[in-house]
Amino acid sequence: MTSRLPQTKGGFNFDNYVRNAALEGRGLAVPKATKTGTTIVGLIYKDGIVLGADTRATSGPIVADKNCEKIHYLAPNMYCCGAGTAADTEMTTSLISSQLELHRLSTGRQARVDTAMTLLKQMLFKHQGHIGAALVLGGVDIKGPHLYTIAPHGSTDKLPYVTMGSGSLAAMSVFESRYKPGLSREEGIELVKDAIEAGIFNDLGSGSNVDVTVITSERVETLRNYARPNERGIKEASYKYPPGTTKVLKTSIRDLMDISETVKVATTEAMDIS
Amino acid sequence: MAYNGGAVVAMTGKNCVAIACDKRLGVQAMTVSMEFKKTFQIAPKLFIGLPGLATDVQTLAEKFRFKANMYKLKEERELEPRTFAHLVSSTLYERRFSPWYVEPVIAGLDKENRPFIASADLIGCLDFAEDFSVSGTTSNQLFGMCESLWEPDLEPEELFETISQALMNAVDRDCLSGWGAEVIVITPDKVITRTLKSRQD
Amino acid sequence: MDTLVGITGKDFVITAFDSKAVASITLMKTGEDKSRELNSHALMLFSGEPGDGVHFSEYIERNIKLYGIRHGIELSPKAVASFARRELADSLRSRKPYAVNLLIAGYDVKTDKPSLYWIDHLASSVDVPFAAHGYGGYYCLSVLDRYHRQDITEEEGIKLMQKCIQEIRSRMIMSMPDFIAKIVNKDGIRLVQL
Repeated sequence: MTSRLPQTKGGFNFDNYVRNAALEGRGLAVPKATKTGTTIVGLIYKDGIVLGADTRATSGPIVADKNCEKIHYLAPNMYCCGAGTAADTEMTTSLISSQLELHRLSTGRQARVDTAMTLLKQMLFKHQGHIGAALVLGGVDIKGPHLYTIAPHGSTDKLPYVTMGSGSLAAMSVFESRYKPGLSREEGIELVKDAIEAGIFNDLGSGSNVDVTVITSERVETLRNYARPNERGIKEASYKYPPGTTKVLKTSIRDLMDISETVKVATTEAMDIS
Repeated sequence: MAYNGGAVVAMTGKNCVAIACDKRLGVQAMTVSMEFKKTFQIAPKLFIGLPGLATDVQTLAEKFRFKANMYKLKEERELEPRTFAHLVSSTLYERRFSPWYVEPVIAGLDKENRPFIASADLIGCLDFAEDFSVSGTTSNQLFGMCESLWEPDLEPEELFETISQALMNAVDRDCLSGWGAEVIVITPDKVITRTLKSRQD
Repeated sequence: MDTLVGITGKDFVITAFDSKAVASITLMKTGEDKSRELNSHALMLFSGEPGDGVHFSEYIERNIKLYGIRHGIELSPKAVASFARRELADSLRSRKPYAVNLLIAGYDVKTDKPSLYWIDHLASSVDVPFAAHGYGGYYCLSVLDRYHRQDITEEEGIKLMQKCIQEIRSRMIMSMPDFIAKIVNKDGIRLVQL
């Protein structure tokens, strides 16, 4: 019976592999994983880093989530944008985030961006590109602001302005024409917003809103839905069905009660000790 | 996914949530059962819907029941919807390279009775929604129905009509789903399960 | 391909299977028993990969019987089906999985209810009023949809099974010479003449 208990070995489990290969061999259509056909960008400005992302998640041609979050927390001084297979970016960044937290606790120092970059690239290289995460890593540490891109196979680039995802070409064209060193905070945010919007409007895999995160040596500002250029129009009619439209065959109601217990301390007469 | 068919949808309302599923189990075009439910209770106010390959639906329903029971025994408290969503996510991502063929939908009320719904893809990418979550072979049709029918702050009875009509009209455009439906509405003090009268074609 | 059929009634389950043993395109023999008695009130019918069916069903049979001996109480049909499904699901994730389709017909002596479980080679298990495996299913499911009621008696059940087999014989291109039928009810499992 103990063999039936879930194993907690850690790492990936390949138990279904043979069966799934057999099913696929017989022509079973495999469900599609959610992707973030994305536009993610980052740039270095005067005082730190500005990261930006769109908020569309797709499953094939279907928009699976219209307002997802692609700028993930890594450490208090680091954030990471993810593009590619959504589950991979999510799980990879949260795994590395845990490792950085432990690193910080054991060293008693703020983790460096370089450390995070190395952990991420080693993880991705180890899996030879099968973990489909393309990342933009930005943060500020003791050595100043750092900005990296990490490709699914584990290669990295360190640049002053970067873009990734399916909308990277559109976003890069904005950066190439307008980026200059020593941008102010406002200029930086505006440029990032415009780059993401270029992705939103010109790349089919990107859409909805613009998320921005600004990291300086002092603090982090998370500007969730900084720009909302695709606000949905107000519904003009209500499509409420009158009660009783749906024919019901059987109803069962389970009442949930709050059971509260009050304990009354019994007052007894004081013991006679005379 | 398309081997056995199936549809699941969840919606939020005002202090309530609803989750609904069809009841067909087929082997490609042949219908085998019309009593195959795809929603499972995890805690008093928490349900999971598991459309997908039937064998994995059953295996995972057992697995989640086991894990939820172990959580309750170890922690001596009820499993919160958000916690359970992450449990589902990790369970699925563990098999990143040999997945279970299911796309779960989670619906429940948290301890403050706030509505919570979420869905995951087959490798555990969570998608937290404010409005509705859809899944299964009918997901495209359900997206369309929900996008037009859903509105904020529906009362439990209104939510029931909305989710029922969304599901039934969506499965009318899917050969692999339908043949009966079940709707569960969760409110702070009641869990109402209704079996719907639906088309049988 | 083998055909298995099962029908539940008021207080019994009737099952039938074709008794052909086939190797490639050759009929080796008739009178092959494609069922195993798991305990006094549970019967398993199997089809699929030759050898796998016998091996798997006898493995389940022995474990179910062992449970009965060890605990002095027999497993209910629901428990039997749940056990068999799990064993099949686990085997599915091994290097050489069993390729078997199953029907489990049982009578629960505690609740006095008959039940029929349909389990396919992917280990999907469902409790159904009637079921079939194999090509025969395409013919008899429609007959059962039309004529089956939950409250049929054994005589009506036998008649209904004959109807199904008649349909299979008259419509299927493969010859289906003889079927073996078994009934599970409160008295146990018995052979019936169709």
